[in-house]
Amino acid sequence: MWWRSASFILDQRHVEDPPNDVASSSKEPDTLSTLSPPQTYSSFMAAADPFNPIPNPKISAYYQTRAAHTAVVTSDWLAQAQAAVGHHPDDSQAPQTQLLASPSASGKSFCVINEFNNWRKQPDLAEAVAAIRALAAVIRASEATTMMELEIELKKASDSLKSWDTTSISLTAGCDLFMRYVTRTSALEYEDFNSARSRLIERAEKFGEISCKARRIIAMLSQDFIFDGCTILVHGFSRVVLEVLKTAAQNKKLFRVFCTEGRPDRTGLRLSNELAKLDVPVKLLIDSAVAYTMDEVDMVFVGADGVVESGGIINMMGTYQIALVAHSMNKPVYVAAESYKFARLYPLDQKDMAPALRPIDFGVPIPSKVEVERSARDYTPPQYLTLLFTDLGVLTPSVVSDELIQLYL
Amino acid sequence: MVDVQGLVDELVSKLRRRKVEGSRATARLTAELLRSVISQSKLPATNQPATLIDAVRGVGEKLIAANPIELAVGNIVRRVLHIIREEGHSNARDAVEGFRLSVGGDNDYIVEQDHLNLSVAAQSSLCRPSLHALLERSPDSATTYFTANSEDDSEEKSKSLDPNARSLEFRRKVISAVNDLIEDINTCHLVIAELAVEHIHHNEVILTFGHSRTVKEFLCAAKEKKRSFGVFVAEGAPKYQGHLLAKELAARGLQTTVITDSAVFAMISRVNMVIVGVHAVMANGGVIGPVGLNMVAFAAQKHAIPFVVVTGTHKLCPLYPNNPEVSLNEMRSPSEVLSFEEFSDCMDYRIGTGASQLHVVNPAFDYVPPELVSLFITDIGGYCPSYMYRLIADYYSSDDVVIQQKHAS
Repeated sequence: MWWRSASFILDQRHVEDPPNDVASSSKEPDTLSTLSPPQTYSSFMAAADPFNPIPNPKISAYYQTRAAHTAVVTSDWLAQAQAAVGHHPDDSQAPQTQLLASPSASGKSFCVINEFNNWRKQPDLAEAVAAIRALAAVIRASEATTMMELEIELKKASDSLKSWDTTSISLTAGCDLFMRYVTRTSALEYEDFNSARSRLIERAEKFGEISCKARRIIAMLSQDFIFDGCTILVHGFSRVVLEVLKTAAQNKKLFRVFCTEGRPDRTGLRLSNELAKLDVPVKLLIDSAVAYTMDEVDMVFVGADGVVESGGIINMMGTYQIALVAHSMNKPVYVAAESYKFARLYPLDQKDMAPALRPIDFGVPIPSKVEVERSARDYTPPQYLTLLFTDLGVLTPSVVSDELIQLYL
Repeated sequence: MVDVQGLVDELVSKLRRRKVEGSRATARLTAELLRSVISQSKLPATNQPATLIDAVRGVGEKLIAANPIELAVGNIVRRVLHIIREEGHSNARDAVEGFRLSVGGDNDYIVEQDHLNLSVAAQSSLCRPSLHALLERSPDSATTYFTANSEDDSEEKSKSLDPNARSLEFRRKVISAVNDLIEDINTCHLVIAELAVEHIHHNEVILTFGHSRTVKEFLCAAKEKKRSFGVFVAEGAPKYQGHLLAKELAARGLQTTVITDSAVFAMISRVNMVIVGVHAVMANGGVIGPVGLNMVAFAAQKHAIPFVVVTGTHKLCPLYPNNPEVSLNEMRSPSEVLSFEEFSDCMDYRIGTGASQLHVVNPAFDYVPPELVSLFITDIGGYCPSYMYRLIADYYSSDDVVIQQKHAS
C-alpha cells in the first residue's frame, strides 16, 4: 500500500486536519481512514493548478486525475474554453448553503440546485433521477446559441450537482451518463442548433422517464426468480428491492424475508416496517446473525449504490460480508440496480474508493484513544454476485463492463 | 393456409406426446414448419415484417406451449423472428437509400431525415437494450418505423425499386435466411468437429457422458487427424445411451472404456479432459444436460480437469434459469428405473393405507451452473461461459425473449 511508503511520511507534513476527522488524523500508518492522504494530494494539486475549476478535497485524487484524463471534455480544456469564451463568475467550489445564500452566484447553477431539490422532494425519486431531470431542465432553460456553450453550461451544472454530495456514486454516475450522452449524441449532426437542442431535450426527458420506470421494470424481471416458499435475505433499505418485494407480494407469492438490522442506520427496521404493512412475514436479524441463518435462506437480494466496471457493486457496509457468506454456502446473490448507477470506477480493494464516513453512536461514550471504523459502504467483487437485475434486463456481472465500454467508447 | 394449420397441429401433437426427441430433430422440424408458415402466409403490401412476425409468433407460442421443456423450439422461433426483423431493417435501409437517390425538395429532405433516424432507432431496438441504445430508441419506434415504410411506398413515384418486387424480395430473403438456419442445424456437428484437433492431443484420456452425436463426430474427427487417445464413456443411467456411443466409437477404431456413473469420481483423476454434449445452454452460461452431468462437472472441478461442452448454436437459449432443477426438468416414467413386475408389491396402492411407500423419481435433466464449465465449443468458435450473453445478443432480439406473456396480457 502506498501509504506505507516514505512519500507518505513526507506528505504528512502537509496535512491539515479536516474539521470532521479529528480522531484519525493523529494516527499515521495504522489509520485506515483514507481521508487525509487524498486531501494532501488534492490540496497540493489545487494549490499547484490554478486552472482546476473543481478543487474537490473529498473525491480521491486518483479518480480526479482519471476523470480528467479520460473524460471527453477535460477540465483543462474546459478551463481554456472558458477563458476564451469569457467565463461566468461561479467557478468556485462553494458548498451548497453558500450557493443558495449568495444571490451573486450565476443564475444557472442556482437554478440547477433548486431544480434538483424540487425533484428530490418527491419521496420515491432517486437522487440520480432527480439530477438527470434537473440537467434536462438546464438544457431547456439555457440561452446558449451553440452546442459548445450548451455543453459548457451542462458541465458546470453537472459539476455543481456532483459537488452537492461527493460521496454519492449513483449521483455522479447519473450525471456522467447524461453528460456523456450529450457530448456524444448523434444529434450533433444536425445543422440547425435549435432542432438539435429540441432533440436533446426530448431525449433527456425520455432518459428521465426511463429512469423513473426503471424500478418497475426491474421488479417485473425479478418476479420469475422468487418462487413460492422461498426465504429472501435483504440488507439495507433499497427502494428497488422494496419494489421487487412489493410486486411479488401483489402477485400473491408466498415468501418470507429476513432483514438485517443494518446498524448504525437501522435501515432494517424501516424495511421491516414497510414489509409488515404488505403482510409479508419478516424476521429481523442482527448483522452478526447472517451466517447463523444463512442455511435457511434461498437467496440474497440487495440494492446497490453503484455498479462498477468490474461488475461488482458498492453498497451499504455489510454487503460484502453477506455475499461472502452466501457464496461459501452456495446461495445466489441477486442485485437490483438501475442502469444509471453504472459508474466508471474500478476499485481494486475496499479502500480504493472515495471514503464516505458517517458518525456511529454506540450509546456509550468512547474514549478518544479508540478509533472507530466509520466507513458507510463497501465493495463486493463480481465473483460473489450471481445476477444483476437492471432495466436493461437480467445481466451477469461480466456484462456490465461491456455495457460501459459500448457507451463510453 | 389450411395446409399450414395442419402441419402446425401435427407438430404440436408430436411435441406434446414427446414423439420428437433431441434438440436437433426438434429444431429442424420447427424451422421447417416456420419456413412453410412464412412461405404460405399472405403478406399485405405494407407492414410486411410486422405481419410475418405476428404469424410466426402465433405459431411459436403454440409450439412452445406444447413442450416447454424442449428449449430448442423456443430458440428457433426466436431466431426466425430475429431473422425477419433483420431482413425488415435491411429492407428499410435499402428503401431509404433508394429514396435518397431520387431527387427531392425541402419536404423530402425532412422526411428523409426522419426515416434515417427512425431506421437507426429501430435498428438499435434490434439489439438487446444497452446503455446507449436506451437513450437512442423511442418506445414506439417499431410502429412509427413501419408506418414510415408505408409512407415510403405511397410517396415514391420515381423510385427504381417496385414495391411489389420489394415485397417478394423480402419474403424470399427471409426464406433463404431460414434455409441457412436449417442448414446450420443439420451440419453444426461437422463444423464443430473441425475444431477437434486443436483441443485433443496425443495420449490423452477423454471422459464423456451419455450419447451425443456432436461429441461422437468431434472425437472421430480427431481420430481422423491421427491423434491417438482413449475415451472413457460413462453409461448415463437410466437410459444407458453411453453403451450406444461406446459401440459406435469402438467401431471407428477408438479405444473405449465403459464405466458406470458412480465410477466417475473414482476414474476422473486419470482423465485429462471431459467433453460432453448438452440439451440446452442458458443465457448465464449454465447448461441443461442429461441427468448425472452435474456430478461429472463437480468431479472435474474437484480435480481441476477442463469441462468442455460442445454445442450447436441452436441450443443457445436467451432465458435465465430460475430454479432450473424444477422448472426446466421433466420427470420420466419410473419403469425406466425399476421394473414394475418385481416391485409391484411395494408400489401397489391398494395395500395398507392406500399410499405406496416406494417412490421413484426419474428426472430427465440436470442443471450445471456456469462456474463448473470451462469452455463452450460452438460452430462459431470456442467461448467461455461468461461470453454467452454476447452470442445471444447476436442471434436474438430482446423483443422476442418473452413470447408467451405478451399474448397472455
